[in-house]
Amino acid sequence: MYRTAAKRLLCSARQFNGNAALRFRRHNALITYSRFSTTEINQPFSNPHSIHDAIPISTTEIENPTLYDSTSSSTSSSSTTDEDSHRFESPKSKTKYEDEHARLLSASLVHVMKLGWTETALMAGAKDVGLSPSIVGSLSRKEAALVEFYMDDCLQRLIDKIDTDGSLKNLTPSDCISKLIRFRLEMQAPYISTWPQALSIQAQPVNVPTSFKQRAMLVDEIWHAAGDNASDLDWYAKRTVLGGIYSTTEIYMLTDGSADFRDTWAFLDARVKDAFDLKKTIQEAQYLAEAVSTGLGNTFEEFVGKVFRR
Amino acid sequence: MALGIVTKRLGNKLFPALSSTSRLLHSHATSFGFKHVNEEEKARMVGDVFTSVAKNYDTMNDLMSAGLHRLWKERLVSMLNPFPGMKHLDVAGGTGDVAFRILDNINRVKQRGLQDGFNDALEAKTQIYVCDINPNMLNVGKQRAAEKGYGEDGSLVWVEGNAESLSFQDDSMDGYTIAFGIRNVTHIEKVLSEAHRVLKHGGRFLCLELSHVSLPIFKELYDLYSFSVIPRIGEMVAGDRESYQYLVESIRRFPPQEKFASMIADAGFQKVEYENLVGGVVAIHSGIKI
Repeated sequence: MYRTAAKRLLCSARQFNGNAALRFRRHNALITYSRFSTTEINQPFSNPHSIHDAIPISTTEIENPTLYDSTSSSTSSSSTTDEDSHRFESPKSKTKYEDEHARLLSASLVHVMKLGWTETALMAGAKDVGLSPSIVGSLSRKEAALVEFYMDDCLQRLIDKIDTDGSLKNLTPSDCISKLIRFRLEMQAPYISTWPQALSIQAQPVNVPTSFKQRAMLVDEIWHAAGDNASDLDWYAKRTVLGGIYSTTEIYMLTDGSADFRDTWAFLDARVKDAFDLKKTIQEAQYLAEAVSTGLGNTFEEFVGKVFRR
Repeated sequence: MALGIVTKRLGNKLFPALSSTSRLLHSHATSFGFKHVNEEEKARMVGDVFTSVAKNYDTMNDLMSAGLHRLWKERLVSMLNPFPGMKHLDVAGGTGDVAFRILDNINRVKQRGLQDGFNDALEAKTQIYVCDINPNMLNVGKQRAAEKGYGEDGSLVWVEGNAESLSFQDDSMDGYTIAFGIRNVTHIEKVLSEAHRVLKHGGRFLCLELSHVSLPIFKELYDLYSFSVIPRIGEMVAGDRESYQYLVESIRRFPPQEKFASMIADAGFQKVEYENLVGGVVAIHSGIKI
């Protein structure tokens, strides 16, 4: 309630202060992120608007590079800070641009299968939506914007599935993880022939921060659904391992020719089993080391005692 | 002063639409460099300036900016991201620099083999309209185009016209650029609203203009260069000190980056952004019509 009142205040102030606009959007994105980092599963949305805004906002916020002081004419884009970005818009017009932007990107996805993750697909999408293709020139990292939009869209569908599917609670963690990764990767199946291009776009240094953040959110989401309550160093280890499983499975899928990607799912199950076995192995190794050191310590004490008593 | 008030009220009665837009400018006086002149006078005086500089315009640009103006225009065109089949309007583009670069860019794009996606678009013909109020500048442009072989397929159209009241239809242009022209107009808001009118839904507005430097020491050096060196070069090369004095003063009188960006937003553009080049000596403002 206080948040919506604050939103209304900021909206009216935004006309005269471009900086407030960006602060407001950051605020929104923070709300979304904090939802992912809590340890409670199935927490109800605190701000019903945040998740719907998150998809266009996270892509536009990240790809907003108002280059404030660019001393060369190269295409490097500086990272954004609140002071560097200048948007001069009224609240209504701001939402219109975001809407058109989202419409453009979702219309372009249809063309990706034929044209790849390229500017051409974006321009074809623009024509479909009734926008002039010159709007593509205003997107800061054109193909990356499209890929990031798609990744956000898939993440959103995964979250919806997690929220609506009650059977996940009854599965063991390893089964739950397998199922969710499979569900997420199946979303990419229609684009699998162009997916290597999407991966290479995500790997470009300019785009790495955003793609890393998106993958981190994805992995976090899956662990939450699998019932993770860790908050120490283990948290990082778990996410790294899951990130590794996800990426290797994704890459395996690129060259998998079996029907319905059967081999990929077999690969996935094997990797998840390995990871959980590894966890058990590490625990066992820890116990062993403790036992050995205790034993050794006793032996050593006796030995030293014997030596000195002589 | 009484006369001024009376004429203002008459002006408001005759042109009610204009009175709202002229709120930001004082009613009948405008700036011509550091001088204050009547509005009708400004258009004529600017016309005189450009008639006299037309022949040496490109040489002077090279000398004053040490050739950097080419890089600035390249940056403008790459931000525009032209495509084959585009309808583009370059205003105050007299000698055709920006238009030629756009055509080069489009031909490069075609060669890169993006034909697959553009099969429908290639049926739509690329049209670059170059609009300028000064016929001398247009003639220089036409000559250069003929020499370099641009526009032989009819993709370049030279139009004489006023940026404040364009002769083009609503929603007809994919892109609109104005390079180093907007500080010479009498009513900036009119130019901006005309730009908004002729652009299509999703069309892009780009303005390249000399702007304000705020870096401390660089600012002093730049002022020194502007007021001492440039009129001197103008005198020696073009034999016209006055015009170049006007040029340098008009840069100072033009609104700074933030103010100009808010004016663009007021005209109805969205996603208004600007990029400073060379620390603020030049700024590229952009906006989208949605």
